[in-house]
Amino acid sequence: MGLLALGTPLDWPEAQKNANHVREWGIKQLLNIWNKAKGKEKDALLWGDEIEYLVVNYEKDKPEVTLSLRQADILHALAQDENLCSSGGCVPALQDIGGSTLPIFHPEFGRYMLEATPGKPWGIGFKDLLDVEPNMRLRRKIAKEHMNPEEFPITLTTYPRLGSPGQFTTPYYPPCGEKLRSQFVPDEIANPHIRFPTLAANIRSRRGRKVQINVPIFKDKNTPWPWKDPTVKYDLHKYKEDDDVRNGASPDNFIHMDAMAFGMGSCCLQITFQAKNINEGRRMYDQLSPLGPILVALTAATPIYKGFLADTDVRWNQIGAAVDDRTPEELGEKPLEHSRWRIPKSRYATNSTYISDDPRLRKEYMDQNLVIDPDVKQQLMDAGMDSLLATHFAHLFIRDPIVIFAEDLQELDLSKTDHFENLQSTNWQHIRFKPPPASNDIGWRVEFRPMEIQITDFENAAFSVFMVLITRAILSFDLNFYIPISKTDENMSTAHKLDAVLEEKFYFRKNPFPTRSPRPYSSNGACSGTASPAILSRPPTPSGPVEDEYALMGIDEIMNGSKGDSTNNFPGLIPLVESYLDSMNVDVETRCELAAYITLIRKRADGTLWTAAKWIRHFVQGHEEYKGDSVVGEKINHDLIGAVIAIENGGRQGVRDVEQFLGPAVKPCGD
Amino acid sequence: MTRLILSTSNIMNGGSIIRKPGAASNLEFTNSLRSNFLAAQQDYSPPLSATKENGNHSDIEKPSSVRPPSSVWTSRQGSDYYIPTIDWSLSGLSEEPSQYDVTVKLFYLPGADVKDRGQYAKDAIQLVFKELCVQSIDLLIVSFPGMSFEGDCEWVADKKNSSQGNDDEEVASWPVLEELYNQGVVKKLGLAEFGSEKLSKFLSRVKVRPKVDQVNVKDCCNVPPPLSKLAKVEKIELLVHNDCTDILPSGTLRELLGQGVKGAGVLSESKRSLDGMKGDLTPKWVVKYTAVVRDRGVIENKGYFAVAELKE
Repeated sequence: MGLLALGTPLDWPEAQKNANHVREWGIKQLLNIWNKAKGKEKDALLWGDEIEYLVVNYEKDKPEVTLSLRQADILHALAQDENLCSSGGCVPALQDIGGSTLPIFHPEFGRYMLEATPGKPWGIGFKDLLDVEPNMRLRRKIAKEHMNPEEFPITLTTYPRLGSPGQFTTPYYPPCGEKLRSQFVPDEIANPHIRFPTLAANIRSRRGRKVQINVPIFKDKNTPWPWKDPTVKYDLHKYKEDDDVRNGASPDNFIHMDAMAFGMGSCCLQITFQAKNINEGRRMYDQLSPLGPILVALTAATPIYKGFLADTDVRWNQIGAAVDDRTPEELGEKPLEHSRWRIPKSRYATNSTYISDDPRLRKEYMDQNLVIDPDVKQQLMDAGMDSLLATHFAHLFIRDPIVIFAEDLQELDLSKTDHFENLQSTNWQHIRFKPPPASNDIGWRVEFRPMEIQITDFENAAFSVFMVLITRAILSFDLNFYIPISKTDENMSTAHKLDAVLEEKFYFRKNPFPTRSPRPYSSNGACSGTASPAILSRPPTPSGPVEDEYALMGIDEIMNGSKGDSTNNFPGLIPLVESYLDSMNVDVETRCELAAYITLIRKRADGTLWTAAKWIRHFVQGHEEYKGDSVVGEKINHDLIGAVIAIENGGRQGVRDVEQFLGPAVKPCGD
Repeated sequence: MTRLILSTSNIMNGGSIIRKPGAASNLEFTNSLRSNFLAAQQDYSPPLSATKENGNHSDIEKPSSVRPPSSVWTSRQGSDYYIPTIDWSLSGLSEEPSQYDVTVKLFYLPGADVKDRGQYAKDAIQLVFKELCVQSIDLLIVSFPGMSFEGDCEWVADKKNSSQGNDDEEVASWPVLEELYNQGVVKKLGLAEFGSEKLSKFLSRVKVRPKVDQVNVKDCCNVPPPLSKLAKVEKIELLVHNDCTDILPSGTLRELLGQGVKGAGVLSESKRSLDGMKGDLTPKWVVKYTAVVRDRGVIENKGYFAVAELKE
């Protein structure tokens, strides 16, 4: 989440009145950073991962499992730990990268959540890559040590029975609070820091009704059809939003949810990379974008909502719906009168811009329905920003700031980036382009945000390290993954389907290699010093129909390469990474560890191993208490949570289907 | 006698580098040589009208009938014959040399005279220096002929390795590399494919010790235990690679340069032919160089040079 500044938050109508004010100052701050940092060069690759946890209360012999709402107490315990603090770990006021080596813990939206990051960013030294997994384990261990004995940090994307009738939190609070007005979850589900309830309340107010998150129910053999969500109450009359369900908010055959917590209370695995300079950052942003939906399908881990099996495998769209603050006019349900424009996507969605000055970026790839604020774009361009980048920010700035603190409106502080970040950090797109912070030496960064958190640290390390390696392969081989942005949107929607990793096809570019730059026709000379040979002659601008550049491929083909029966001849992301590794000096031990990670991903992609979503689904459907009716009852939930805890705590033997999920107990290359 | 200098130019921006899964091979090297020949033939030919290919690898299928004369795309300088012509004005790296880790691997080929190895090393380094515009190399690995790790299990492979190569010749080839090290031209020396027994004998006979032993074992997790133990004790880093030792057999070289569909058309097939040079062709050495931006892990330049002698 963004920065946790303190102050007096404005309620919605007040906040909206000040939206322009914040945007104007945000643009000034952006231009200030841009002017200062546009020439910033030669930053090293530094990267960091973020692991998010749910904290559950679980006891083997006690049937009830609940979410622990003791986030504040746990963070307090962590902050009070002197050993941790003196080594620079503890809990920071800000999320800047410090010089410490112990992990850092952060609050998150859900009051049952924790986030942990490494104490200092990782580099590209291969030894660093090997430190990732032990460091993730250490984070989990330290977190656990500051909890009650029955509390466990687990890395499921969502808590399976969040919002189910009965008690799912400890302590218990009744739903229907003033801030969320949810009939399923209490206000106390959110982090009590004023920023979070205000965020939820202002999204609801701006929208004019509660958020609506409807996930298709999985139709099993005994699922009644049409299926009506049995947990929805139609007879509440406390708030005007209680009318929502009477006005059709909860359609047949969908699991209905009505609060931000159902989305923002999900756990993700996010990776941030520092680029060498702004241009490399822009290039990485573009090239990582088409990979987003592929990695979503590959990390699928979210088959249950509110105690029911869903007909989808991933969390992404639910978060999009959970923070969708668009008004009926912006949604296109009413003619434009008060709102400035129609907006096709939620603030949380696939990204809508390409921003690199790469000559391979064709205008046909751009989002044809992109909404921008022309005044913002003009202002940025007048200050010297190029059209592509100005368009990107003018798109982010079509949104209103949601949380505004009265104190921050007194005076514009150009040494800060708070107003810019207010818009930037509430545009939750799947790739984020991050300008340097105002106050220190950090460079331009790109955040890869779509992956689902995995149950084990081995998997989380595998996907984190894989993403680092693929960025290195992209830069080394000058790879080109461009496809039209609208195809990435389609891919993201495809990634939600049940077992999309094996069953679905995704648009992907067939030939990722650059066009060879021709030599100048005749020339002769000696060393040209440090002039960049790559810039001397650029490959010809591509032409030919865009439709011929991409094809529909399965995840196996995209990850492992085209087989003989395919005409695509795509090399595969994993072979690309392996070719990169073959050209580097890697010691045998490191290569062995990396091979274990790559094997996991290869096998997930080719179906030898199951995604977490499939494993959870099988766990539920194979449970003795499951009645074939899509209901994930308390006993099933208890045993599932127990299995998840066991797997990551050395107790995987005896857990059902664990070999199909994670492979043999010995790391694969030890065979 | 003509010295043929074959080069790939920077292979990072073409598809030929992508390996197919499988054992060590010289495919990266031979494919990138071949595509560089074709690229040079294309680039140095008088511009053809509108048939410009658009960035894929169908170049390879270009029929030999439209091949331009070799004088267009190759060049001679004294007794050196560059295939293709090297445009040294395109040399260099985009940032100062201090930002890079430059690794060079020199393959001594089986047909070459041992007494010339010293000269080969100097020649190879000069070419790499000229190509990258650098003054020193971070790691120089030498690969001697006849070495491998093969066998049903890692113990057998290590055992077999002990009788491969030629200890005396390898030791005799080392002083010139030690000299490069002492001059600061090379910061670290390394070997390739030395098993535990050969390595320990080698260490006892040289002054400047290798810091690296690059090995190609079937499964990187199964390094022969005696070797990993020795490496640990002697503080020698075991690195992984995927090259085969005999990277340029003379048959392959003839095919690359010959008149066949996949050949460059530089060398005659028959003794009577007029469309190319002829004579006895002996590959002497191959050098692979890699320049990696150190703190970003980005490979900026990678390529090969190969030298062969033609007795006309």
